[in-house]
Amino acid sequence: MSRGRIRNNIRRLRFDRSEMTQQELAEKVGVTRQTIIAIEQDKYSPSLEVAFRIARAFGVPLEEVFQYEVADSEAGNAA
Amino acid sequence: MDLSYQEKSILGSLIAMVVVYGYYFASVLRNADRREFDSASLGRLLLAVIAIIVIEIAYHIVLALESKTEPKDERDILIECKAYRNAYFLLATGACLVITCVIVAGLARDAAPTKIIVTPFLTVNLVLFCLVVAELVKFFTQLFYYRRGLR
Repeated sequence: MSRGRIRNNIRRLRFDRSEMTQQELAEKVGVTRQTIIAIEQDKYSPSLEVAFRIARAFGVPLEEVFQYEVADSEAGNAA
Repeated sequence: MDLSYQEKSILGSLIAMVVVYGYYFASVLRNADRREFDSASLGRLLLAVIAIIVIEIAYHIVLALESKTEPKDERDILIECKAYRNAYFLLATGACLVITCVIVAGLARDAAPTKIIVTPFLTVNLVLFCLVVAELVKFFTQLFYYRRGLR
């Protein structure tokens, strides 16, 4: 089974909310600023709970923040 | 290089450990012909442990004063778990090697006179060496995952 990647739009969502800082988002979510940086750079996939808290901080559904991208071969098999 | 509070804390502990135990094991090598782990050996070991504690406390006070302390979150805990896993495997391997060393040296001594003797002094220091290396592996693993990320 090929593995997919979890992408996110946190950088854009922060920009849309009058340049919310990483520190402000971290405080809202209850994690460190380093963790927000790691998530934004796709270096860390957060737990489901933190993912929901991030979505709630922006006031958007989870799918608008995170997307699961599958590899081409897996997508082809599914089709 | 922009280091987080956790990374600075780990790096400080790593350097303290390398310096203090480096000095301690250098003295062990100088006295490698000792047989028993006597009071002088115990004194050196206690001195190393106290030195580590004092350095760690002083360093973390300075670190807390100059940079904002951050409580551990889920990413820190996950990285710590991975680091403990690596350290455990190394410690378990080291313990097995020391046990094997002691058994083999005992059997060799029984079978024929040999100069290979695993003394209590050597055994204690080998076990301690495994503990120190396991701790260093934990620190290196944490720094590695903080830099590379958990994908």
